Amino acid sequence: MPAGRRGPAAQSARRPPPLLPLLLLLCVLGAPRAGSGAHTAVISPQDPTLLIGSSLLATCSVHGDPPGATAEGLYWTLNGRRLPPELSRVLNASTLALALANLNGSRQRSGDNLVCHARDGSILAGSCLYVGLPPEKPVNISCWSKNMKDLTCRWTPGAHGETFLHTNYSLKYKLRWYGQDNTCEEYHTVGPHSCHIPKDLALFTPYEIWVEATNRLGSARSDVLTLDILDVGSHLPLPSPATPGLSLLVRGKVVTTDPPPDVHVSRVGGLEDQLSVRWVSPPALKDFLFQAKYQIRYRVEDSVDWKVVDDVSNQTSCRLAGLKPGTVYFVQVRCNPFGIYGSKKAGIWSEWSHPTAASTPRSERPGPGGGACEPRGGEPSSGPVRRELKQFLGWLKKHAYCSNLSFRLYDQWRAWMQKSHKTRNQDEGILPSGRRGTARGPAR
Amino acid sequence: MGFLDRPRAPRGGQKPSMDHPYVPSFPSTPEDPQTDSSVSLLPHLEAKIRQTHSLAHLLTKYAEQLLQEYVQLQGDPFGLPSFSPPRLPVAGLSAPAPSHAGLPVHERLRLDAAALAALPPLLDAVCRRQAELNPRAPRLLRRLEDAARQARALGAAVEALLAALGAANRGPRAEPPAATASAASATGVFPAKVLGLRVCGLYREWLSRTEGDLGQLLPGGSA
Repeated sequence: MPAGRRGPAAQSARRPPPLLPLLLLLCVLGAPRAGSGAHTAVISPQDPTLLIGSSLLATCSVHGDPPGATAEGLYWTLNGRRLPPELSRVLNASTLALALANLNGSRQRSGDNLVCHARDGSILAGSCLYVGLPPEKPVNISCWSKNMKDLTCRWTPGAHGETFLHTNYSLKYKLRWYGQDNTCEEYHTVGPHSCHIPKDLALFTPYEIWVEATNRLGSARSDVLTLDILDVGSHLPLPSPATPGLSLLVRGKVVTTDPPPDVHVSRVGGLEDQLSVRWVSPPALKDFLFQAKYQIRYRVEDSVDWKVVDDVSNQTSCRLAGLKPGTVYFVQVRCNPFGIYGSKKAGIWSEWSHPTAASTPRSERPGPGGGACEPRGGEPSSGPVRRELKQFLGWLKKHAYCSNLSFRLYDQWRAWMQKSHKTRNQDEGILPSGRRGTARGPAR
Repeated sequence: MGFLDRPRAPRGGQKPSMDHPYVPSFPSTPEDPQTDSSVSLLPHLEAKIRQTHSLAHLLTKYAEQLLQEYVQLQGDPFGLPSFSPPRLPVAGLSAPAPSHAGLPVHERLRLDAAALAALPPLLDAVCRRQAELNPRAPRLLRRLEDAARQARALGAAVEALLAALGAANRGPRAEPPAATASAASATGVFPAKVLGLRVCGLYREWLSRTEGDLGQLLPGGSA
């Protein structure tokens, strides 16, 4: 093939080619010299492109010194396997023909290796066959934006999928009513059939997006997707975000978000019936005038019943109360962005965050027949009552300006109560168990 | 015979370095201002030889992997043991001659350096062709790019060693040939595959040769 000219296969890939005829002959091409002999050969056609199921007639013409080298003894291999002799025919003294029918798809993208061998097995010439299917139009285009400044799109190849030929996919986009076609350049960002447009996207105006598939046998174009990041049609399928982290999923006329990251669940000191839940607001919300509301749900480890805490509002922490002591809980949080650019329209709830587990402390109160943990006379109190009181005092100091309140004051009061209770009991002859009687004598 | 071929007799009463028989012993006197710096260079030089030898050894392994990946992606018969393709001529580079092993070590290293300098444009040409034939084979393409870079690096290291040993080629340096081995790139795909195989094979051969030649500079290696 003369240097610098694209082969017919490459040319035919630009437009849908007609079905190739049974007999196919092209111009003679240069061939590598055999390693040791003076003979060379040429295979024709050189590097043809064929449809699956079609046929091929190829020839191997030997040249050499002395002239009139014979075609006797030549044989063919395809991908290293010798082809049956009945497929070959000596056309003339120097040419061996090969007829292949009902071709299968190419074994490798670089082409099937058809080789003409001399009698001694040495390679005289080779040609690569590209057998496959033209591309079908790509389908299921879906797009999403991480921050309304970029766009990532994904698609599925046509129904057949496998074309057996290298197929190039190109994502194109343009503003609907004006502007030129643009081509996406960052491919394979979230899988083999995806592309990322990093910048220069306009808001409040629709884009047209489509995918073109091209291979040696032709090209195909997907349906056009019309997309406005803020206001799109409801025919978009709901894709599942392929990337962890944060993204705004565009669907219909509403926006959703990824679940809140970094959800942490921890105990609240020694409080046996409470757990503290904290999370982080999705960063994507910061770039826009979004507000967010959250929901929490939790369940006991062995249960499938979730309890939902609604209306967590715009906070990023919450305390769950009324829980069972010594129990493992699974907790999830989800987010709903609303108020896009000032509107009060609610969005779609995100997926729930990954479950986070934590356990409440074990109860220190005595069970039936259990040991006593209640504070005895004169000793400082301990247990949940005291802890909750501590929390209350802390809150009181913060919100009620009761700076004089302190735990010491509470202990002093308790000590005084114990003392006065004991004194009263001694005066009345009441034993600590509450039974009346003298201190030494039996109960009456 | 050059200095690399036998240990020199010391002058000025200095004993030869018996631990490093192949490291040149510089003539010196106690008043020679270069004495201290010369002696201090010897361990450094040996370290550089070891380092370059280790690099050649590592790159030889990489070249094996490149070759395996290459044949796999071209499809059979390229990976078959019985595959015996025509040995296409590659412009500006040939395989190590059978007489290579009989040459003095510094001459061998010069040939090694010249081959390593000629390989990068050839590997680049193969990479470009494979980008068309196997566009979804990023690992192969990366290996080819790395091979070109590594050949340059090793070639430069060998030349630096030769210069340090005083055996550098003082003539005008021949420019490595352009990627004229791409003659096959203008023809069919099969010849291009074969040519790429040839280049990868030459790359491996010359790396292995360089590793062997450098090994003979190390203590215990036979010149």
